[in-house]
Amino acid sequence: MAPEHTRSTTGGTTELPPQATMGLLNYLTAHSLDEDYAHVSQRQNAGREPQQPRAGLAALVILGLFGLLVATAAVQTSRNAGSEADGNKQLATQITARSAQVDARRSRVTSLRAEVDQLNTQFLQTTAQGRQLTGRLSRLGVRTGSTAVTGPGVRVVVDDNPNATGSTQRVLDRDLQKLANALWASGAEAISINGLRLSNLSAIRQGGSAITVNGRSLSGPYTVLAVGDRDSLPARFVETTHGSAWLDYQSTYGLEFEMTTEASLKLPAANGLKLRYARTPGESR
Amino acid sequence: MIAGLGLLVGIILGLMLQPDVPLWLEPYLPIAVVAALDAVFGALRAFLDGIFDDKVFVISFISNVLIAALIVYLGDKLGVGGQLSTGVIVVLGIRIFSNVAAIRRHIFHA
Repeated sequence: MAPEHTRSTTGGTTELPPQATMGLLNYLTAHSLDEDYAHVSQRQNAGREPQQPRAGLAALVILGLFGLLVATAAVQTSRNAGSEADGNKQLATQITARSAQVDARRSRVTSLRAEVDQLNTQFLQTTAQGRQLTGRLSRLGVRTGSTAVTGPGVRVVVDDNPNATGSTQRVLDRDLQKLANALWASGAEAISINGLRLSNLSAIRQGGSAITVNGRSLSGPYTVLAVGDRDSLPARFVETTHGSAWLDYQSTYGLEFEMTTEASLKLPAANGLKLRYARTPGESR
Repeated sequence: MIAGLGLLVGIILGLMLQPDVPLWLEPYLPIAVVAALDAVFGALRAFLDGIFDDKVFVISFISNVLIAALIVYLGDKLGVGGQLSTGVIVVLGIRIFSNVAAIRRHIFHA
């Protein structure tokens, strides 16, 4: 059973050791037993009868050590697994706690914003100059889109030709631009497209196949709400260049266009309005 | 018989005491167990072959465990700890498999 590695010389050429000739895997399988066992038994049994081996006290101690090692490793591994599961659970609770915190902060932001608005009007009401400013501010707020607006107006719903085959039969960014401009020109005070309020910094752009307004992608049908004089708006709309262009689109390209008057429309404030040039005194840029 | 008794006593001792493994020793424990397993299976095969020897077993067990741990330690220091442990596991695994195959031949004569 015991493999021998002898370096016999045959015909003058030295044979290589088995590690070199056998290949590592073959060598590993052939020499899986510690060679010392064979050596020692050869030495001991030289000239004696082979005897049945006996495991002594040393083997007992070492096997005990082995059992201890295995048990310790198992205990340690299960302990670590437990702490890992604990960590996952902790993370999950942290996530829920943090998202609750975010929600609380968000509602606090809204209430604080309302408070700021209230304090603003309160402050402006104390002086005559302030009262004048309030009126101007609210008028400007409607125009710039910084305040939400409620009032009568028109609802325009436009969409692609249902059987569209080419880009000319679809609503493009420039068509929506023309529509918005026509509404402004016919006396609209505030406009929103699919619930996004147009401010005087809003851009209507083509982004891939979608149209983006204020940096958000929209998809048809496009509902354009315009607050203004609902009696004169539709008539004046047709008279504007872009308004009549839209009627052409409807008849030539089959774009869907529908204008209805509404008694009360609710338009939200535009998002992402920032002060660009004004700043509080003493604050550095 | 006596060997099985030792193994049992060791396992019970480990489960009862639950010794705390120091943190620096923890990564070497699994590889030491695999090395010890190799030594134990080798001893069992030698026993069945009729060439078992106490001294050889003690020495092979201790040196196996120490060398396996040392290789992994060295690998950790060189930044190839994971790869070296894989290598050690592969070599010891092959040895364990072929030793178990020999033991199986002894027991079942097949």
